[in-house]
Amino acid sequence: MQKLSVRSVTKRFGELSVLDQFDLQVDDGEFVALLGPSGCGKSTLLRIIAGLERPDSGSVHIADKPVTDIAPERRNIALMFQSYALLPHMTVVENVRFPLRMRARYSRSEQLEKAREALDLVKLEHLAGRYPRQLSGGQQQRVALARSVVSEPNLLLLDEPLSNLDARLRETMQVELKRLHERLGLTTIFVTHDQEEALGLADRVILMNKGRIEQAGTPEEIYRRPRTVFAADFLGGANIVELEVVKSGRSWKGKFPDGTTVPLTNSPDLEAGPRSFVLRKEAITFQPVNSMAVINGSIETQNYLGGQTRSLVQACGVDLIVVTDSEKTEIGRRNTRIGWRVEELVPLEL
Amino acid sequence: MSAGAWRANREPAILLGPGVLFLLLAFFFPAFQLLAQSFLTFGTEPVQFTFEHYAKAFVDEFYAGVALRTFRIAFTITAICLIVGFPLAVIIARAGPILRASLIVIIILPLMTSVVIRTFGWLVILGPGGVISWTLEQLGLIDNSISLMHTEAGIIIAMAQVLLPFLVLTTLGSLSQIPPSLEEASRVMGAGFFQSMFHITLPLSVPGLASGSLLVFALSISSFITPSLVGGVRLQVMAGSIYQQMTGSFDWGFGSALSVILLIVTLLLIVPYMILVSRAGGRQ
Amino acid sequence: MIAATPRWVMALATTFLVAVAAFMLVPLFVVVASSLSSSAFLVFPPPGLSFRWYGEILGSEAYLRAGWTSLKLAMVTVVLALALGTPAAIALSRFRFAGRATIASIFLSPLILPSLIFAIGLLIIFSRYATGPSFTGLVIGHTVITMPYVIRTVSANLADIDPNLDEAARVMGARWWQRYWLVILPQCKTGMAAGAFFAFNISFDDAVIALFMRAPSVETLPMRIYSTLEFSPDPSVAAVSSVMILMTMVLVVMLSRVFGLSKVV
Repeated sequence: MQKLSVRSVTKRFGELSVLDQFDLQVDDGEFVALLGPSGCGKSTLLRIIAGLERPDSGSVHIADKPVTDIAPERRNIALMFQSYALLPHMTVVENVRFPLRMRARYSRSEQLEKAREALDLVKLEHLAGRYPRQLSGGQQQRVALARSVVSEPNLLLLDEPLSNLDARLRETMQVELKRLHERLGLTTIFVTHDQEEALGLADRVILMNKGRIEQAGTPEEIYRRPRTVFAADFLGGANIVELEVVKSGRSWKGKFPDGTTVPLTNSPDLEAGPRSFVLRKEAITFQPVNSMAVINGSIETQNYLGGQTRSLVQACGVDLIVVTDSEKTEIGRRNTRIGWRVEELVPLEL
Repeated sequence: MSAGAWRANREPAILLGPGVLFLLLAFFFPAFQLLAQSFLTFGTEPVQFTFEHYAKAFVDEFYAGVALRTFRIAFTITAICLIVGFPLAVIIARAGPILRASLIVIIILPLMTSVVIRTFGWLVILGPGGVISWTLEQLGLIDNSISLMHTEAGIIIAMAQVLLPFLVLTTLGSLSQIPPSLEEASRVMGAGFFQSMFHITLPLSVPGLASGSLLVFALSISSFITPSLVGGVRLQVMAGSIYQQMTGSFDWGFGSALSVILLIVTLLLIVPYMILVSRAGGRQ
Repeated sequence: MIAATPRWVMALATTFLVAVAAFMLVPLFVVVASSLSSSAFLVFPPPGLSFRWYGEILGSEAYLRAGWTSLKLAMVTVVLALALGTPAAIALSRFRFAGRATIASIFLSPLILPSLIFAIGLLIIFSRYATGPSFTGLVIGHTVITMPYVIRTVSANLADIDPNLDEAARVMGARWWQRYWLVILPQCKTGMAAGAFFAFNISFDDAVIALFMRAPSVETLPMRIYSTLEFSPDPSVAAVSSVMILMTMVLVVMLSRVFGLSKVV
């Protein structure tokens, strides 16, 4: 069953086109990340799914029912706001009970019991009687999470769920969110601008740009095989290299600005001429083997990252960032051999 | 269109409607009536359009004298409020929490007390056999009891106390937006206490001082309770003579014309005040 | 104070503060002092101490009636100012619509127009279209001048709350009336309380509108005090005034408790 289907949704704010003929299908139980820079339309899409904005054209279906004209309060979904939007005049347990109370589900005592169960799920049962302002940021978020899952919604929508937390708490909450998803199996869609969050949490990442899908796929696909300059740039793990593609006999080669050539894997869309390639920072090694593409360069600077070392290498007229697990620093070494497995140099779409 | 969208358009209208309607009827309609009245004959049948009330206001030397006195008093009050209010605001802005809170209470308490009661206090202080007279007598400076009642000085002293809070509060608004680091930086760069006060604090609080002065001036030309109780009938100010026309001699046409003149002067002051306040980020 | 303030400046500042405090508070102090005088005349210093003027006002039907009128007037004003001002503040804070700035300035315009001018307009209206000044006229006048305060305090209150609460409640299934009753109004509580304090204080203390809307049958406390001062002030006025000063002090304390003094100014 498809839990959510967004069909050619278009949304404009005045002159500005925010979503353009947008399509998205989400299966039951999926954990999907909408990833993109601010202004890419991801938040508007989330608000359209929730019913807080109306699409100019196109339709939204939840659990195979059209909901485009249905008010948010009748959609049986949950949305966790970036600011958590806890009701400040109600206690924690009253906040968590609120969705059940509004939908008049169960008796009062059953509602309270369900609310306590949801709080137990996020390990906050002991704070049930407190007011939101008496809680830390992390605790407030857990309350918001409990409130989102208590009504067993068709869809769980999360808007930048981790952005208001500090780095350490963010790591714990990532684990927590994943655990909660596995336990409850709720179809979850979350919006984020942080690629680490998207890659770490989701089963499927939808990378958005200017109101369209730039690339969609599993976290591994998105990270290892970005298809466009935008995707490679946004995911940030890669060097983007401009090469001249030349035919040499029956195989293709890539020519660096200084004339050095490296082998390329055969790919049907290759043609002679300038082309951008992506080369992940981790794919480059200082101990190349013979089957690899190998070039000479010089190490300009190195930063120790704790467990890893990042080096800036100048080679064949380009700057390459190399991240290795070794902790050796070799600044200023000229004629360092660096190499990569041929298939790691991935051509980007024209 | 869904029910939600319908409400999104109608909700503000439903919420604002009663208030707007009330203000149109109870506020703008009376203001308009006042304007109309100033151009109409009063007490004659039929009612006719006329400029005679304005002509009288501008020709009659008595009212020229009243207007002159009103502005003289207002200027003096504004000057006093500036001289006293600026240092007071600076001190409040920098005081520790306890001193700050007590100073604000000292400012707010009289502000929230009825103007008739504050004026009453000044009557007791300024009058014959009052606090000032008694003190001066005790010091041997005067032989017979004196009175500041029915003097412009008395009016000015009493009204300055009534209006000082307005200047202090607007200036405080400006001062609170100056980061303390600015002045600290100027001190580190070698400016003395008064140099940094003069080059940093004073210029940056000009918007607050200016809007506060305009407010004080506008309020002082339109107040009549303190001037009439302290000044009496002989020392009339504009607002007082308007009160006289409306409730004493029942010349509503003339009273309305005087009010419109007062209103125009006030608006000429209040418009720059509004602009200053909205530029400053609108605190008061 | 900045640590590097010269010592002699501190000394000067202290003297200045004492002088200003005296200037602001002595007028209130002498009123209270006069109310405790045993003399029938307002002389300084009072010849002796007595509470008899408080007994006097408690036995005076004119003062009691004026007090009751003022109290009724202030309470009706508070209710009306809240009823009209709160929804307007909610609309102005929550919605963005064409003409919003204009409507906001319409609501705040009674603060700009001197109340003297407004009082005259009101007098003309009530004489022309009604039976002359009346209690209703006072209620209307006071509602006009106090409503802006309610709008300001409630708006300030709403500006501090999470703008997503309403949408969050919607997604959780709350219908519009549930959102107003359970989400929006509870957020306005402190603003409404502060607005009510202001409205009560302004209405109870007002003399300007009251003097213009003076009707033979309606007399408020400030009107009574004003006419007594005009003709024959005696310590019983001081006693009434002292009671009103005490009420103002109580209101200031309550305001600072509910809202915090920094928000009041």
